[in-house]
Amino acid sequence: MDVTSQRTGGALIVSVEGRVDGANARKFQKAVEGVIDDDRAVILDMENLGYISSAGLRSILLIAKGLQKRKAQFAVCSLQDAIGEVFRIVGFDKIVTIHSSQGDAVAAMGS
Amino acid sequence: MNETASITMQPDVEDLENVFAAVEEFAERAAWPMNLVFQVKLILEEMALNVINYGGVEGAEPIDIVLKTENDIVTIEIKDVGQPFDPIKDAPSPDLSLALEDRPIGGLGLYLVRTMVDEMHYEWHDGHNHLTLITRRLT
Repeated sequence: MDVTSQRTGGALIVSVEGRVDGANARKFQKAVEGVIDDDRAVILDMENLGYISSAGLRSILLIAKGLQKRKAQFAVCSLQDAIGEVFRIVGFDKIVTIHSSQGDAVAAMGS
Repeated sequence: MNETASITMQPDVEDLENVFAAVEEFAERAAWPMNLVFQVKLILEEMALNVINYGGVEGAEPIDIVLKTENDIVTIEIKDVGQPFDPIKDAPSPDLSLALEDRPIGGLGLYLVRTMVDEMHYEWHDGHNHLTLITRRLT
């Protein structure tokens, strides 16, 4: 699992690569929270994420809750099919904004 | 195509990586589509981590996993020495209608597994949990 980040168009884009599972979900969450500063808009790009389990979903939920608490925007983008299905099954599509591409996410959220 | 594989998982989250590697090797042999590989990994992780986190199995004997694929049917058998736990009866369903701020942070793993399998059979005998999961979704 690798986490990289960049700031574009007023949004912080955090890209995660590999898999987020029960063995590394806490590390993933800390890595993402570590790159978030006082950003007003955060996009989690999951294009290169091939696997996520409930431990990873829990981390994303905690990241989303933390951002919501300080009224920052949060969205995810570029989910692979199987991960999009997992998001729908657990109803995350109702509580987290999902964009089909990073460009769409930046356009919707950036200032 | 009929294939069978036995996987032994130490009761430690760090052994997940070896389980995933074994699933990938098996999936290649059985020519599984990517979505099925994802599903089987997810099912094994959720069930195994449930045993490791709540079953009191630290330092106990390994979790025995058997994967079978027979025509379009995939069978997953999991045997462990954890506390008796019936994932069919003993796990509550999460409330998916709650808003972000009200969502509790756990309880999604077993729910995911239940939605992904067609049949679940649970038995407790000889001091072991025996769980059999069957999925026919070879998409």
